[in-house]
Amino acid sequence: MINPRTKKNILSVVSYSAKLLIGLAFISPLIIGLMFSIHTEAELSQLPLRLFPKVPTLENYAKVFTDVPIFHYLKNSIIVCVVAIVSQIVFGSLAAYGFVFFKFPLKKFLWTVILSTMMIPGEVVIITNYVTVQHMGLVNTYAGLFITSLISGTSIFMMRQYYMQLPKDFKEAATLDGCGDIGFFLRIAMPLSVSTISALAIYQFIRIYNAFFWPLLVTNKDVWRTVQIGVAYLVTGDVEEYGKVIAAAMVAMTPAVIAFIFGQDYIVKGMVSSGIKG
Amino acid sequence: MFRRNAGYAPCGLKKRVSPLPYLFIAPAMILFGMFTIYPFLRTIVLSFTLTNTYGNPTKFVGLRMWKRVFTSEVFWTVMGVTLKVAAINLVGTFMFALFFALLSANIVKGSKIYQTMFALPMAIASAPAAGIFVFIFRQKNGLLNSILGTTIAWQHDLRTAIWVVCFVTVWMHIGASFIFLLVGFRNVSTELLESAVLDGANNMQKIIHIMIPMASPQIFFVLFLNINSAFKSFAQIRLLTGGGPVNSTKTLIYYIYENALIKGRFETACIQAICLFLLIFIVTRIQFALEKKVVHYQ
Repeated sequence: MINPRTKKNILSVVSYSAKLLIGLAFISPLIIGLMFSIHTEAELSQLPLRLFPKVPTLENYAKVFTDVPIFHYLKNSIIVCVVAIVSQIVFGSLAAYGFVFFKFPLKKFLWTVILSTMMIPGEVVIITNYVTVQHMGLVNTYAGLFITSLISGTSIFMMRQYYMQLPKDFKEAATLDGCGDIGFFLRIAMPLSVSTISALAIYQFIRIYNAFFWPLLVTNKDVWRTVQIGVAYLVTGDVEEYGKVIAAAMVAMTPAVIAFIFGQDYIVKGMVSSGIKG
Repeated sequence: MFRRNAGYAPCGLKKRVSPLPYLFIAPAMILFGMFTIYPFLRTIVLSFTLTNTYGNPTKFVGLRMWKRVFTSEVFWTVMGVTLKVAAINLVGTFMFALFFALLSANIVKGSKIYQTMFALPMAIASAPAAGIFVFIFRQKNGLLNSILGTTIAWQHDLRTAIWVVCFVTVWMHIGASFIFLLVGFRNVSTELLESAVLDGANNMQKIIHIMIPMASPQIFFVLFLNINSAFKSFAQIRLLTGGGPVNSTKTLIYYIYENALIKGRFETACIQAICLFLLIFIVTRIQFALEKKVVHYQ
């Protein structure tokens, strides 16, 4: 006769292991990518394929770093992300502050305008935006890459939600102490909202870093490609050495995966508080 | 606020409008104006014109191009594929997300590990995902063919191409739905579940009669979310099948891209973009109505 307590413990171990196995099966494409990125090219073109290589090798990664300008792509991606994220934080906070702490004529109308623009997905206007950016001469420039990501409804919404829950006394006390709106915004509202800003930054980092359609449209020279577009051309190009493509894919996904694993709670907060956009 | 004004501001004297609030919201408004409102209006205008290859209107033709789009056979094929992909994405993503969320509903020591695994693919971009899936699905030396001992061109076979696209799309979209559903299930009060157990409910009954009804706002939200995300999916189609074979994976957004960028038919692309907008608009209206409840529940 098994003690009920032991039985319960065994059951929970079994259920935990089962859930872990299901999780591993679900992310198996990533494990497959990782394992086959350390195969030699010869092993990759020899059937049947084996998950575990005879001799693990880093030669595919070496090739990615020497044959593919992957660091240059990464640099382009990071520049675009930094500019767009800083802009979204600053402009998003400013707009949110304006709508929360001020009363002014046309406020309701302007807020309706913002809400309406949020009903227009980027994918709908992407072609017309491409034409505009082309006319502005911004194809193959950093400005062209980040110009449509400088603001988003999500960033205004997230900041607004934070400001709305700030106690009104803060603002009144600051006003009594002679602190104007700009002072209150810079010295109190912004510093207090650091955790919301971090959530916004991580959420937007994954979105912008992973963006594909827009950077595909506005770049047609290799030096301006972001990581995603660089890898995409490897995938669709006739590359003889596919091990290199897999290794490049692994490198390209790493920043977003790290940001996701460490910023998970922030991202969940961002998604749930403002609804996922796009 | 009103009381203070009544006390200090003399009646009839108009309060001077401060420019400060407008300065706060100006950058956001200008950017929205330039890259959302203006292009949207321009899209509508261009749909009534003929355009040159630079996207400039050359001639006003009224509804002529609209008529041409709606009478084209390919357009309706494309709409059919779009709805099919959305339906598969909706069902596939929801079933898996629901299963994973039910598995993770209880917080135990270490549950964060599998929870992270269930959500992780949402952080993987289409390009690296395509890099791996092409290796799995390709005909020559592909992993799937190696395992099955077949020689099927999964990405380019009329019967399988759409399933390859949907498989990758579903895999990438499960994470977001999983997170929303998990929030819903974890908000179900433990007292309610405990009293159900006291009344003799088993696990299945708990799920069907308590957890799913209580999380219904999140469930509806996730359903509409996945219809929309399928409408917006572009990269995996471009990278895995290129809309082929014979238009079998050509969705509306891919068709827009093809018309504008490959064929240089901007006015056609604009008309189709408006169709895409209307599809998404209808679904989003419903989603927004439910989103309020999602926020309310958390």
